[in-house]
Amino acid sequence: MSVDQRFERIVLPHLDAAYTLARYLMNDASEAEDATQEAILRAVRYFHTLRSDADARPWLLAIVRRECYGGRRKRLDTLAFDDVPELQLVDQAARPDTATDRSILQHRIREAVAALPDVLRETLILRELQQCTYDEIATITEVPLGTVMSRLSRARVRLADALGGLTTFAEELG
Amino acid sequence: MTAQPPRSLGDALRDALPTYEAPERLRAFAHAQASSATVAGDRFARRRGMRNLAYAAALVLAVAIGGVGERVRDHMSATTSERNVLVADLVDTHVRSLMADHLTDVQSSDHHTVKPWFAGKVPFAPYVPELQPQGFPLVGGRVEFVNGRTAAALVYGRGLHTINLFIWPATASDEGNRSATHGGYALVHWTARGLSYWAVSDAAPAELDAFEKAFSSSTP
Repeated sequence: MSVDQRFERIVLPHLDAAYTLARYLMNDASEAEDATQEAILRAVRYFHTLRSDADARPWLLAIVRRECYGGRRKRLDTLAFDDVPELQLVDQAARPDTATDRSILQHRIREAVAALPDVLRETLILRELQQCTYDEIATITEVPLGTVMSRLSRARVRLADALGGLTTFAEELG
Repeated sequence: MTAQPPRSLGDALRDALPTYEAPERLRAFAHAQASSATVAGDRFARRRGMRNLAYAAALVLAVAIGGVGERVRDHMSATTSERNVLVADLVDTHVRSLMADHLTDVQSSDHHTVKPWFAGKVPFAPYVPELQPQGFPLVGGRVEFVNGRTAAALVYGRGLHTINLFIWPATASDEGNRSATHGGYALVHWTARGLSYWAVSDAAPAELDAFEKAFSSSTP
């Protein structure tokens, strides 16, 4: 099989996932397109570094992420964020009734996700939307497994907090 | 209208957050790049073919005159094309660092500021000597993504020129010293104490050699 067929067959099926990640990291459609385009150039150039076909998705997502942060487009909010104490869940009683309305809830979720610090948002998106394994997230975001877990947990707490401490969310946090 | 609350946060997120389809323009670009990968692949394949031929010739030579074959084979080593890609990428990264107003993430001539800044950002502790007395003032540092890995980039000045020094943990293929020029830029490579160094600059190659000597002699 020629190189272009391999690249087409193995890497390009993940183009939507790559673009989606860029959308959430950049919070902007045209910036996301630019970053993904640069990432594809890198991916072609470094195709020989892809060790196993099965790793194509996390491999491409890692390149996209680096392009979003490293390509002089945007700085990671802060890596020291892991030191910030967790926020407390707000009182269940404070939850507005309108939160049960589906479209308002969805709107609030999107706003809350967009407002997350970069390191929490990327971890959350990779896990919940891209369905990456913890190991894959650790590789893509270049941090230890334990950091992935704590970021994920902190992202969920933040979201639950922003959404008014919905019972079901709080329960999931365990 | 009210709805059942979602069963879990994950469900709620997948409900609320759209996944996006890549725009048509981006898709077309990606497919075009995939085709260009063929071109690169063919080129490498041809090079490999020529290398094999050269290697066969080298073996004949080695039998004939002894010793020479080893040198020819070194020269034709399989990493040659990968190294050319690396050199091109280092120069690209150097040029972009100058163009895009993103030369440094930590800007300081004090190595006590620059060195600790890298803690937690790269998985090793780069040595950051001050080389002002030797004529290479420290400008700062940043984190880069080079050759498929995270690298520390130290920035030094030399008159009006800028030197980017890229550092990452050395692997077997990094061994050995090397210098190169690419598109008018000079590169010098060395390894020391488990780290691989690539210095890139538009300064003259001799200046870069002087930089390497200054840096190496300041390393404990």
